Amino acid sequence: MQTLIMTVSDLHKTYGKPGTKQYEALKGIDFSVQPGEFVGIMGASGSGKTTLLNMLATLDQPTSGEVTIHQQPITHLKGNQLADFRAKEIGFIFQDFNLLETMTAFENIALPLTLQKVATKKIKPAVEAVASQLGIQDFLSNYPNELSGGQKQRVAAARALINEPAMLFGDEPTGALDSKSARELLDLFTKINWEQAVSILLVTHDPFSASFCQRILFIKDGKIGQELQRGTTSRTDFYQQILDNLGTFEQ
Amino acid sequence: MLTKLALTGFKNRWRDYLVLFSGLIMSSAIFYMFEALATNQDFLKQNTSISMVGIIFQFGSVLLTIITLVYISYANSFLLSMRKRDYGLFMLVGARKSKIGQLIWLETLLVGIVATVVGVAIGTGLTAGISQLLINSMNLSLHHLAAWYFPAALTTLLLYVGLFLLAGLFNLITLTKTPALKLLHSNEQPNRPQLKPGRQILEVIIGLVAIGIGYWSMANLGTLQLAGIGIALVTIVLGTYFLFNAIFVWLMVLLKRLPFAQRGLNGFTLSQLSFRIRNYTKMLSIVAMLFALALGAITVGMGFHTQTPLMAASSNAYDMGIVNATSAEKRQITALNPTTNVTYHFKAGKKAVYYQASEFNQHPFTTIEMRAKAQLDYKRVTQNAKQLSKSSLIYQLMQLQGSQHQQTAPVFLSSQDYQKLPQTEQHLTVFATNDVTQHLAGLKQLATTQRHRDKGLDKGMLGGRYGNYVMINGMYSGLEFMGLFLGIAFLAMLASCLMFKILSGADADKHRYVMLDKIGTTKRQLRGAINKEIAVLFILPGIVGVIHVLFGLQMFKMLMITSPYTGIWLPFVIFAGLYLLYYLLTINIYQRIVLQ
Ligand SMILES: Nc1ncnc2c1ncn2[C@@H]1O[C@H](COP(=O)(O)OP(=O)(O)O)[C@@H](O)[C@H]1O
Ligand SMILES: [Mg+2]
Repeated sequence: MQTLIMTVSDLHKTYGKPGTKQYEALKGIDFSVQPGEFVGIMGASGSGKTTLLNMLATLDQPTSGEVTIHQQPITHLKGNQLADFRAKEIGFIFQDFNLLETMTAFENIALPLTLQKVATKKIKPAVEAVASQLGIQDFLSNYPNELSGGQKQRVAAARALINEPAMLFGDEPTGALDSKSARELLDLFTKINWEQAVSILLVTHDPFSASFCQRILFIKDGKIGQELQRGTTSRTDFYQQILDNLGTFEQ
Repeated sequence: MLTKLALTGFKNRWRDYLVLFSGLIMSSAIFYMFEALATNQDFLKQNTSISMVGIIFQFGSVLLTIITLVYISYANSFLLSMRKRDYGLFMLVGARKSKIGQLIWLETLLVGIVATVVGVAIGTGLTAGISQLLINSMNLSLHHLAAWYFPAALTTLLLYVGLFLLAGLFNLITLTKTPALKLLHSNEQPNRPQLKPGRQILEVIIGLVAIGIGYWSMANLGTLQLAGIGIALVTIVLGTYFLFNAIFVWLMVLLKRLPFAQRGLNGFTLSQLSFRIRNYTKMLSIVAMLFALALGAITVGMGFHTQTPLMAASSNAYDMGIVNATSAEKRQITALNPTTNVTYHFKAGKKAVYYQASEFNQHPFTTIEMRAKAQLDYKRVTQNAKQLSKSSLIYQLMQLQGSQHQQTAPVFLSSQDYQKLPQTEQHLTVFATNDVTQHLAGLKQLATTQRHRDKGLDKGMLGGRYGNYVMINGMYSGLEFMGLFLGIAFLAMLASCLMFKILSGADADKHRYVMLDKIGTTKRQLRGAINKEIAVLFILPGIVGVIHVLFGLQMFKMLMITSPYTGIWLPFVIFAGLYLLYYLLTINIYQRIVLQ
């Protein structure tokens, strides 16, 4: 068996300080991710998806439990170690793009490299390579407000991928896109996952997006309720399977 | 109901309101400080002999009013941007426009009045504090200075309330004329930095020509008179604006092409700056002007201060002459460690004061001889009895002879002739210390006891370096005070203008820093980026301001005897220190807002 890229064990998250009104958003989550896997996390609004993703992606700290990426425990990283980890090991894509609107697409994509003080000569080829992979090579000199939603999200993806991270996290990345752009983006994810063996963890409430994944974890009231493997099923059949499953899971 | 909603909005954003209020309070406090001098005619008349000072203050008032206008428009757009979303929401949930209009108007006016009243109070305190500090540390003698001056308070209140009435009206119109949805999503969008070589070259030329005219008119104030100041103010502000506008964008684009831009957050900082600069050019040109005015005022003020003892030193070689000094006084003189200390005997006749030539041959008297024209260019000439009796500089000895003999010419006699005179013998002690300003207390004491004995000295001049120092200091104190006081006021105004403008953008920047944090930027890199960005915004107007001052000091060649450029480093260093403090304060607050 290959070593796991990510393990999550008994993860709890309670919002609110002791003594004030508290809310337990995660009630013990356990799962792991194989290298190169494309995992989806599904659940209704308010079920704790974003909370979970934020813990996994070091954006927030759990109340208890542990997460490892590449065998490294990440929940207690701080300061420069945390920044380094974010810059080198993981990439994010958010629903609202999170691009710097004061910089061109090129500069946005290059930012993680410049932060890591990569030699100037290597930056341009790297940006152009990832941009052509994502089909945005013609928009590199545009500012974000001169791009469509789909293009913006691909720029964000390019920025997340340029450091060749071990894990790519997406929180409803298709949430603000029309169905055509959403489909293009998901196809790109599939391609990257296939070609570069990047592990992807996608949070979504949308069955269509989820049908691109190989495995889906269903989360409800802060716990993983069910798991669905795609195996060799075609994507359209898997989509039907997800819909059926949601019917019984959410009832 | 709506009022309650408005109040909760207020509570949620108390931090932003704090920035807004402190900015406005600072501005009105400074305006009051300025007006406390400018509207106080008694103070101006009593403390300066230069008629132009009153008019300079008038110009200052106009200038400060214009700056206040800009300042309030910034403050108001800050307020507006804070409230846009809230009021948009109120409209969406069905609040009536007229009701919202009322609220906006009331809120703007309330903010204005509260800030101004507090500002005037603080301004009164600052005026009292700063003037005490200056008077004590610079040895100034001033009359009719009042920290609380009603006309000044009234002027300040009227101007600010008037401006806020206008601002309220403006807010009312903007908010009620804009559709609710637009209010909800009115984040500023960055514009692509535009490179239009033709236009920018034209701007550079216009800018340089305008600044050139300004510098020229300052240097030729003698012929242009008052118009010169007006011309200089307008052309320099405009010229600076055009230059900033043209050069800055171009500079940013150029810098971005260098490898330097691809290291760390440098590219981000450059982008931030070029994104900002459209909003900042007006501000930066005004700040540069204020910088020049403040630094110029401080430099001139300190120039008069350094000039005073120099002028005193050129008037006489001795600090003081004491007729019939008591042994107590003689001990006091010795305590001052005098460099020269001589006692001459004399007998006073009706037409002459008779000395023994032998005493002057043994201890020659030192006189100050002016070289042509330049007043502070002098040499010391030591003269014996024979030389002195022919010298026109003998008046310098007469000045030391006490009030009764100040107009009586000295005559030097042989010892035999002197002995034959029937009058009782008296004696005159003359002495000099190394530096009058270092022995002011001791000299003052000697002057007092002497005046006690010689009532005539009260009205007449004391003579000697000390007496001249006191007289010149009295003449220049007003100018020194005004220069320093105005300099500090302008500095506070420009720095808080800049600080306020920078901080009002902090909220909009917050999400950028959060984002950078998410993709793995260290806190150190973030802080570095902030420090650099704000440093550029501080340094740019600083450099331009310094250049303006160096030319602007030309104006004071007429007013000052020493070159206005002497000892210029001292005010520059003090000023840089204060400016640096403001910079540190700004980055500190900014980091607090942006980096949680
Ligand atoms: N910062 C927070 N403080 C308190 N409660 C929160 C916070 N963030 C999320 N929650 C609560 O936790 C639950 C899960 O939220 P979230 O993870 O955002 O759900 P999802 O992304 O699945 O829609 C929700 O009930 C939400 O109200
Ligand atoms: Mg969510």
